[in-house]
Amino acid sequence: PEHDDRVSVPRRRKGRGPFRWQGNRSRSGRGGSGIRSARLEEDDGDVAMTDAQDGPRVRYNPYVTRPNRRVNNWHERDRIHVTVRRDRAPPERGVAGPSQDGAVKNWFKITIPFGRKYDKTWLLSSIQNKCSVPFTPIEFHYENMRAQFFVQDSSTASALKAVNYKIMDRENRRISIIINPSAPPQTVLNELKPEQGEQLKLVMSKRYDGSQQALDLKGLRTDPDLVAQNIDVVLNRRSCMAASLRIIEENIPELLSLNLSNNRLFRLDDLSNIVQKAPNLKILNLSGNELKSEHELDKIKGLKLEELWLDGNPLCNNFCDQSTYISAVRERFPKLLRLDGHELPPPIAFDVEPPTTLPPCKGSYLGSESLKNLVLHFLQQYYAIYDSGDRQGLLDAYHDGACCSLSIPFMPQNPSRSSLSEYFKDSRNVKKLKEPSLRFRLLKHTRLNVVAFLNELPRTQHDINSFVVDISAQTSTLLCFSVNGVFKEVDGKCRDSLRAFSRTFIAVPASNSGLCIVNDELFVRNASPEEIQRAFAMPAPTPSSSPVPTLSPEQQEMLQAFSTQSGMNLEWSQKCLQDNEWDYSRSAQVFTQLKAEGKIPEVAFMK
Amino acid sequence: MSSVDFKTYVDQACRAAEEFVNIYYTTMDKRRRLLSRLYMGTATLVWNGNAVSGQESLSEFFEMLPSSEFQINVIDCQPVHDEATPSQTTVLVVICGTVKFEGNKQRDFNQNFILTAQASPSNTVWKIASDCFRFQDWAS
Repeated sequence: PEHDDRVSVPRRRKGRGPFRWQGNRSRSGRGGSGIRSARLEEDDGDVAMTDAQDGPRVRYNPYVTRPNRRVNNWHERDRIHVTVRRDRAPPERGVAGPSQDGAVKNWFKITIPFGRKYDKTWLLSSIQNKCSVPFTPIEFHYENMRAQFFVQDSSTASALKAVNYKIMDRENRRISIIINPSAPPQTVLNELKPEQGEQLKLVMSKRYDGSQQALDLKGLRTDPDLVAQNIDVVLNRRSCMAASLRIIEENIPELLSLNLSNNRLFRLDDLSNIVQKAPNLKILNLSGNELKSEHELDKIKGLKLEELWLDGNPLCNNFCDQSTYISAVRERFPKLLRLDGHELPPPIAFDVEPPTTLPPCKGSYLGSESLKNLVLHFLQQYYAIYDSGDRQGLLDAYHDGACCSLSIPFMPQNPSRSSLSEYFKDSRNVKKLKEPSLRFRLLKHTRLNVVAFLNELPRTQHDINSFVVDISAQTSTLLCFSVNGVFKEVDGKCRDSLRAFSRTFIAVPASNSGLCIVNDELFVRNASPEEIQRAFAMPAPTPSSSPVPTLSPEQQEMLQAFSTQSGMNLEWSQKCLQDNEWDYSRSAQVFTQLKAEGKIPEVAFMK
Repeated sequence: MSSVDFKTYVDQACRAAEEFVNIYYTTMDKRRRLLSRLYMGTATLVWNGNAVSGQESLSEFFEMLPSSEFQINVIDCQPVHDEATPSQTTVLVVICGTVKFEGNKQRDFNQNFILTAQASPSNTVWKIASDCFRFQDWAS
């Protein structure tokens, strides 16, 4: 088994995929190195396109000069790699008929009547959480007060129908979801064919100046190459703008300057995604379009623009004088330095930017070494009994006057149908339960009642390696700590269901220098997909932690040294070394990285 | 503790918890700079594994957090046993909810507080003795 496969896979980011040619980035160097300027003289910063290994991703290759080499290159690669985008294969324009694979595609329009009130991300993830099948929302948009999107095929639609009234919003109002059969959405109808998309990429690559990180899409519709191929790329169509933005996102997310002048843009709704797709964009040229209202700019105001061109749009005539024009634009782009080529008075800046970054999340907080050992030792013993099948042995862990209660996430739907139904009858949520006698009854009090209650809960197996423990209070008479982790149920109707829990204990010192619980609150929820994936990934340490005698003397020696240096016990040290084929420095590197990320469970350090 | 007494304690704990949750999260979302006043001078916060102690450090920490919108879904609470906090009325409050920090996605969290009633000659004020906060998806 791997030492810790939770974190060994590097995370992929959009536009930074493994197929992106890294050499391009490092050698062109953003910092203006000598290498960079040398390259620029060589080929004046032009870029050409090479096909990617697996389909639609492309790379901008500054080392290929045009025109001949590119053409050769293109054809050569074209023969080898045929780009097929099965999942996006659009039907013929204007035809809602059978798709490529012959299946009839049914489209459904999903309407959330007062959807405007909700944040898109929140809304879609709430729906996805409640929906029994994963779905891909197409063309999510707001229309008046409604939020709408499209999905394909009737099974998805009926799964979404089941979500109707299942989601509660902040005001505890149930969200209604209306499903209607519909014609295919415009994006699908107008979507460029794969080969047209490839042509668009080629044209965009020709119009990209890598030295300035500038993309010139001025009057794209009349581009000679596109016209010659009879490809109609009209950027005021949602599908075309979306295709262009996708190419930007996948190839040049570092884009600094974008020229969209003379494209007959009359609204900026479809451009709004650029805020995420090219977050570094500083210069935007929208001149010579059909924008009628300055409110269109609200849709892209997340951009931190320094330079904007708007001249030649009807909206420029909405202002009685220059200063109201400038202030209307600056309202949306407070950091703007130049408008329509004119320098603006310096932006008003104070040295207080509202923070948006959170402190990094860390693993367990366990205070001092002795406290840590005390708590971890306690938890090991506690959960060994808790998972043993008979929890009667926990009597020794509780104070005579201990209390215990349980809670589960608030569920608007019928709890008896929920997978947490076994816990529901004991759930004590005082936000919802107002009746004092019920609140009292659900709080188990005295040692015997507490253990009897715990004995009634489903049998469990906890993943002790998943535990994250925070010690939040310590006095001479009290220790408060919370344990977060996952367990699975080992019998009953939810056998093998994986749960996550967060449990808060308050303990007082016990006579045997151990801990005696006086308060115990257990919160149980369903494990998330990520938690399910990670759970029980590492085998629980075996009870005997002496090194296995089959190790060679060199390995034994290495093991001792590694254990001393890392602070991990022999068992975990051996695991780490074994997983890294007894390569000491590699093991040390992996250990250091995992430790820094807080990904090594505390049990690894218990000797 | 006789059973009748205990029932009174439970009732008091619930009322303190409900009141506290209202005040705490409103202050957090709307009057952040006053938030540290809800904590005892010696209070400790463990925020996703980061420990912060003392009112001044807490003030600094809360100032640094982006603005927030909390929504509380679950509250549970228990009177803390007398032996743990001799002659001080103390309550454990456990909370589950969602929070949207500005510039971040909405996330689920679990949080627990130890609240203690500090009696002075003129009045009794509840203060936070400890606070432990964790995102449910802290590891991702």
